[in-house]
Amino acid sequence: MKYFLYWGCSLEGTGANFLVSLKPACAALGMEFEEIEDWNCCGASVSYAGANDLAIKVLNARNLALAEAHAGYDIVAPCSSCYIQMVKVNHEIQEDPELLKQVNECLAEGGLKYKGTIKVRHIQDVLYNDIGVDRIRERVVKPLNGLKVAGYVGCQSVRPYGEYDSVNKPVVEDRLLEALGAEAVPFPKKIQCCGSGIFLPEIDYCMKLVKNILEDARKHGAQLISTVCPMCAMNLEMYQGRINDAYGTDFDIPIVYLTQLMAVAFGMDLKKDAALNYNIIPPEGILQAAIG
Amino acid sequence: MENKVNYDPSFAEEVFRNVDAGDEIKMCMNCGVCAGSCPLREHMDYPPRQIFGLIRAGKREEVLNSQSIMLCTSCYTCVVKCPRAIPVMDVMHGLAHYALKQGYVPRKDTAAFGGEFWKQVYRLGRIDEKDLPRRVFFSGGLIEGVKGMLNFMDIGIKLMLHRRMKLLPEPKIKGIQSLRKMLDKAERLGKGGAIA
Repeated sequence: MKYFLYWGCSLEGTGANFLVSLKPACAALGMEFEEIEDWNCCGASVSYAGANDLAIKVLNARNLALAEAHAGYDIVAPCSSCYIQMVKVNHEIQEDPELLKQVNECLAEGGLKYKGTIKVRHIQDVLYNDIGVDRIRERVVKPLNGLKVAGYVGCQSVRPYGEYDSVNKPVVEDRLLEALGAEAVPFPKKIQCCGSGIFLPEIDYCMKLVKNILEDARKHGAQLISTVCPMCAMNLEMYQGRINDAYGTDFDIPIVYLTQLMAVAFGMDLKKDAALNYNIIPPEGILQAAIG
Repeated sequence: MENKVNYDPSFAEEVFRNVDAGDEIKMCMNCGVCAGSCPLREHMDYPPRQIFGLIRAGKREEVLNSQSIMLCTSCYTCVVKCPRAIPVMDVMHGLAHYALKQGYVPRKDTAAFGGEFWKQVYRLGRIDEKDLPRRVFFSGGLIEGVKGMLNFMDIGIKLMLHRRMKLLPEPKIKGIQSLRKMLDKAERLGKGGAIA
């Protein structure tokens, strides 16, 4: 199965362990990826400070138009922020011919046109619905033997359209974790926002959000937290030291991407494929113990 | 006894006309679910429900100076929960954009961060994750910049040591000139600018 992979700006940087692990893990399941030639940033969550809504729509429509002009594959976005931006803009212009016309007026300045035929998908969506948990389970050679994982969904990966999972009680990530042999622990804060794109400028407020999420995961027995969003991963992992200083806590919980766990369970190289050495809070010990 | 509330619709009309998603507030029935579901509600001076009320009451200064319009984490919870299907988040973003354009700066740091973010998108077509924080820190002056850099140096070094920081500068996308033309046009056609 072939897809456009739109990895966005952070997956070659702060979210590198996501992209490095995603490629071999998905290839093992028969997925093929192509890059959208000369793609641009999606605008993420904070662009509104500098741009109006139409400009942000046009920014995303350029990527959609480039993909459409080249081939009709679905676009898979691993980053939740890229995903929600593109899926939102795509819905809005597909449902409103007037808006599509206006967007195309702007795209025409660069010689592009979007017809509205492309589908935008989240990586969890294709894993769950195109590949399926059975095929994933079959590919597992080193099951994560009951490893207690909090599947942190965050917010943008399932909202607001509920394309592939419930917006209020998402289950897809847990089913995927279970297919790898892990135990997905119940975790009420699994859809609580971590502060997302404004973590850095609003760090004092957002640290408390992350503290609550970490606390909840640990209270429910999680040995590690898995995520599917580079911003969640960054916010949950990088600031644990500061949270400990500010709140007198003692968090030291590894934060891994779902695709890193896939690569481990598929028996791949822990560094080269699972990119575990990219993690700042090392998850190797816990994972080695689980796979035996 | 006189018991009359004087509504001034002029600011509401300004919002409907000039703010992205501004006319969506017409549907608000003030139930407060948006406020109750917001992760940063405890830090807001006026939760979304109250912002909508203030717009209807013509309180322009209160709204455009409000902290809350720039405290949105874009988590979409209010959008999902609103019983009237108002894209509350879009309204908050639209108001923040409009306020900044009119010269108001609620939440200085977030305004600087979002502003530099967009400037970088416009300049390169993509985000350079090591350059963006540097520009944000130094947008407040040299001393602020040095303080900011020192404050986050530990995190930058950790990321670099773990191969999570692209070391080379992010190049411009090939189609940057045409992208800029598209965005300029959108900026002209869209809302959020001067009072019409």
